[in-house]
Amino acid sequence: MLDVLTLFLFNIIVYNIPLLYGTTGEIMIEKSGSLNLGVEGTMAIGAVAGYLVGARCDNLFIACVVSFIASGLVGLLFSFLTVTLQANQNVTGLTITTFGVAFYYFVGNALSNSPEGWPKLSGTRLDAQSQAIHIPGLSDIPFIGKAFFSHGILVYAGILIAVLMWLYFKKTVPGLKLRAIGENPAAADSLGVNVALYKYAHIIVGSGIMGLGGLYMGLNMGGTFEGSNCWINGYGWISIALVIFANWSPAKAILGTFLFGFFNTLRVQNAALAYAFPNALGWLTKIPSHFFSALPFIITLIVLITSSLTAKGKSGEPQAIGRNYYREDR
Amino acid sequence: MRRYHLVRRADAKLNRTLIYYAIGLLVSLTIGAILLWALGINPFQYYGKMLTIGLVGNKYGYKSIEGLLKVFVPLLITSLALSLSFKMRFWNIGGEGEFLIGAICASIVAFNSSGMPNFVTVVLMCLAAMISSGIIGVAIAALKVKFNTNETLMTLMLNYIMLYVIRYIGDTKADWNFFLREDSERPIFGSFPESAMMGGIPLGKFKLLWAVIIAVLLTAIVYIYLKYTKHGYEISVVGDSAATAKYAGMGVGKIVLRTMFISSALIGLAAALAVSSAGTISDTITNDVGWTGIIVAWLSKLSVPAVFVTAILISILQYGCQAAATQYPAIDVNFADLLQGIILFSVLVADFAANFRLIKKEDAKNA
Amino acid sequence: MEYAIELKGISKSFGPVAANKNINLSLAKGEILALLGENGSGKTTLMNMLSGIYMPDSGSIFIDGKKVEINSPEDSGKLGIGMVHQHFKLVERFTALENIRIGMRGEGRFFHGAEVRKKIEETAAKFGFDIDLDKKVSNMAVSEKQTLEILKVLCYGARIIILDEPTAVLTVQEIEKLFNVLRKMKEEGHSIIIITHKLNEVMAISDRVAVLRHGDYIGTVVTKETDEKTLTELMVGRKITLNIDRPIIEKTHPLLEIRDLTIKNDEGATAIDHINFYIRGGEILGVAGIAGSGQKELCEAIAGLRKIEEGQMIHEGESIVGMSPKKILEHGVSMSFIPEDRLGMGLAPSLSITDNMILKNYNESKGLFVDRKSAREEAQKVIDKLEIITPSTETPVRRLSGGNVQKVLLGREIKSGPNVLITAYPVRGLDINSSYTIYNILNEEKKKGVGILFVGEDLDVMLSLCDKIMVICHGRLQGVVNSDHTTKEEIGLMMTGTLNIVNKEGKTDGIAKDSAFTDEEGKA
Repeated sequence: MLDVLTLFLFNIIVYNIPLLYGTTGEIMIEKSGSLNLGVEGTMAIGAVAGYLVGARCDNLFIACVVSFIASGLVGLLFSFLTVTLQANQNVTGLTITTFGVAFYYFVGNALSNSPEGWPKLSGTRLDAQSQAIHIPGLSDIPFIGKAFFSHGILVYAGILIAVLMWLYFKKTVPGLKLRAIGENPAAADSLGVNVALYKYAHIIVGSGIMGLGGLYMGLNMGGTFEGSNCWINGYGWISIALVIFANWSPAKAILGTFLFGFFNTLRVQNAALAYAFPNALGWLTKIPSHFFSALPFIITLIVLITSSLTAKGKSGEPQAIGRNYYREDR
Repeated sequence: MRRYHLVRRADAKLNRTLIYYAIGLLVSLTIGAILLWALGINPFQYYGKMLTIGLVGNKYGYKSIEGLLKVFVPLLITSLALSLSFKMRFWNIGGEGEFLIGAICASIVAFNSSGMPNFVTVVLMCLAAMISSGIIGVAIAALKVKFNTNETLMTLMLNYIMLYVIRYIGDTKADWNFFLREDSERPIFGSFPESAMMGGIPLGKFKLLWAVIIAVLLTAIVYIYLKYTKHGYEISVVGDSAATAKYAGMGVGKIVLRTMFISSALIGLAAALAVSSAGTISDTITNDVGWTGIIVAWLSKLSVPAVFVTAILISILQYGCQAAATQYPAIDVNFADLLQGIILFSVLVADFAANFRLIKKEDAKNA
Repeated sequence: MEYAIELKGISKSFGPVAANKNINLSLAKGEILALLGENGSGKTTLMNMLSGIYMPDSGSIFIDGKKVEINSPEDSGKLGIGMVHQHFKLVERFTALENIRIGMRGEGRFFHGAEVRKKIEETAAKFGFDIDLDKKVSNMAVSEKQTLEILKVLCYGARIIILDEPTAVLTVQEIEKLFNVLRKMKEEGHSIIIITHKLNEVMAISDRVAVLRHGDYIGTVVTKETDEKTLTELMVGRKITLNIDRPIIEKTHPLLEIRDLTIKNDEGATAIDHINFYIRGGEILGVAGIAGSGQKELCEAIAGLRKIEEGQMIHEGESIVGMSPKKILEHGVSMSFIPEDRLGMGLAPSLSITDNMILKNYNESKGLFVDRKSAREEAQKVIDKLEIITPSTETPVRRLSGGNVQKVLLGREIKSGPNVLITAYPVRGLDINSSYTIYNILNEEKKKGVGILFVGEDLDVMLSLCDKIMVICHGRLQGVVNSDHTTKEEIGLMMTGTLNIVNKEGKTDGIAKDSAFTDEEGKA
């Protein structure tokens, strides 16, 4: 019975870490005052590029670097269109999603139909490198060891990135300047902060982080291409919702990931839980799984509405979000 | 100091814009061709196949036209509806969600319409869809007007909530669930009774559905509405400058609510026409028009005639990819999305080039 | 004398408008220089060239005797120049400390240096600032924000500090506090330029006064050797006789009467303070005052766009307080306001001239449709009459030149046939010829018996055009004078708050003898 709970906690982490990558990446972008609705597409491109090159070189590190660069290039495209060309952020972001997801299918179909076929993951070194790492001592702790300390490197990296980003915003000079741009680009500009450079840099890095999340999803799916279901499977959209729920804080994004992950896992494992605890959790089977799927969006909608009813001051939403900055406007 | 400086052109000549757009389109198709070529496919043959949507040398060619129109009608109406709200600078990206609400409500009428006259049923379906979608649109607009809640994110959430609602309906076998086939153990969406099917004018083997005629009429109506009516005038003033609208004594809140009602109701109508033409509902009934509609509206710069033309072109692109997929198994319909994305990126660049120009900054002449 | 700044032959034009013409200015080390001039005399433009926002068309800048080029705010900061803008550039949700840190140079490239707080606190203590470094800007009062702005430039090591109208937003006590800080800064060897309109402040704080007028440099005088009257004369210049008609019409009864009107501005401070005035048919009443004395709020209140705190507004015997903008318009009161960016209020820039013509009366035509046919005819009429230069009636307003935009706006206001016309800055930024066209239009209306409220900037124009001029200073009425029986100096003194003649010779300015108010109403 304890096994069921352990597995439950383990799954919350294993299946939902990509949300954390998507969310922290998007937070970095939104903190610079840009709303990028292209998370899903950015993750998809990072996933495909990272996986394919990674599988060819049979090396996880290379896979990570490539997915970071590929998604970073998507971020560069977004920055160029919205920062330099002043294009509308909503439209650009949505198109990146359409484009990115289509790119996944296009490349996937093309390779699957080619003589070499889509590269397989199982049994490769890449597979081994992405598997759980045994941490002597910690991994052996009963219950907790399996739940928290038996994960692949990318799980820990995701949490580390969130913590580092939190410190970056909180403790560093560039982090402060970045937040100033998101709040009031004209003020930051008048103090000699290079607004365009900061936006470019952080949009690119944020997109790169999303790409790692995409790669993680691909590896977690066993690296098999599915012609009917994109690897990213809506996680990009949940990430955008999670940014709001986490109130634009990377630290809260970790908690939010686990909360949204909790619902997500409940959806998948409700039967197992109900079976293990028929008296206490038997009712779980009566709740449709779709409800758990929709819950992140419902919660976010409620958060959106209630936070607009209450004082704006407490919200972490950057005040200049979604608006392009053009110096001559001042 | 930046030596070069971007300046908005004082005049936006239509000719120049069109030329830049054409160049953008050409570049996109070239990129697409390179991708095709990389896969060992002759791009000219593929494009030829795609642009003729499988009409050539096909004795069932009329089926292709019917199929194309089924893609075209919902896309056109949704794009028109989205243009209405974008014109007011209201970021309604909830086309998918509003479409699904309309589709569900129209289907409720449809599944319970056995024995009712066809005309009455279809009209009731349209009304149910328009009212339900419209109410959701108004609710979102009200939150925006009253509390300045972010409408982009609200409508985005709506899309996914509605997606899971329809999946729930489609996956749940229950006594109350009249959406599903009774004769199947597995949950499958049922077919509408005859009474709820979209009729049409038979032209030989080809059947011109009323939905198409309604869509074309609607284009004319929306065009007139925006261009000639007082409401349309108000929308353009509010979109251009809300402060000026207030100064002129317009009730800005009321205009936003009204326009969002019309915009979402139109999307609901598109959904009703789509389910009635398809004769059933499914969780993929939207065919992504909520998303594609945004791209169409933006490519058209919110001009109604341009929306009409762009919607045809994008429909050909999408349906053409479907048609070509039978011959080119390596490429599926997603190639259309890929091209669509590239086209929009190129057009954004082209639009910028048409509206801005680079000038060298004058150096200060120091005495 | 050693100079911190020397400007030699500085000129700057924006399109056809020359904002600064061949200006020579010097700031000695350790002095406070007041920069004086009317609105639009080019003070802020000149200072923005020192802070790196604009670059001069010609001329040279010397800092500490060395010729320099200032290309960006960063260059300016490196040269030790710090400017406190009239509109604060602060991040509202950051604390004071965070706001200062954004622009801190050399204090830890990546991590915040541990010394920063200490350094800021030391600077604050040195100049006697009382500031809570952990308070968020959004919770600060205006004076605190200003203190923060000044502390900011001091922390960045500025030796030359420019303050653009720092006292406009402060109370008397706060001004005194600010001046103490400025004196302290001077003792520490800083050089200061302060832009202000208030002569008493100029006399109180400055060592020398430099005067600009219409973009020209008039001269610099030593404060001790001058007085307020001389300064006013330098600022407004001698009266220039302009060739503007002022037809004399039989005046009718008071059309619009304002009694005890009090209005707050967007920040919640009192913008208009218990003002009384009235406009008769067939007269032009000018409103003179330093920029930001409440003109905008007054116009908005009369047009129904701003809530009033207290008082009465009566139009032809009926109160218009609380009426919607639309109702007031239908009542016959029309308002046009040309803001600094010219397009902000009253026009929809992307729409055509035709569409802008019908902005206020599109609803009058019957049926669902906008009557564009007659609108086009009207647009054509206005274009012909006001000589608007445009390719067609369908050209978007934003494509027109400034003068033509203003003619469109005014043309529309007149076309609706109001009997009270409120017009603020209608000739802002216009060349001479266009200005005269506008004056003629206003006189035409006056001849028809319309009562006109003309909020203006140029005293020469107002003296020539208006029948009477009411002067306001900080939202208070300083008096109403007859244009024939006053001088520019008198108005200048009233504008700067030195002179108040509201209650002269037993009669109260701003209250009509034949008022439509009954006594009780008047008192209320």
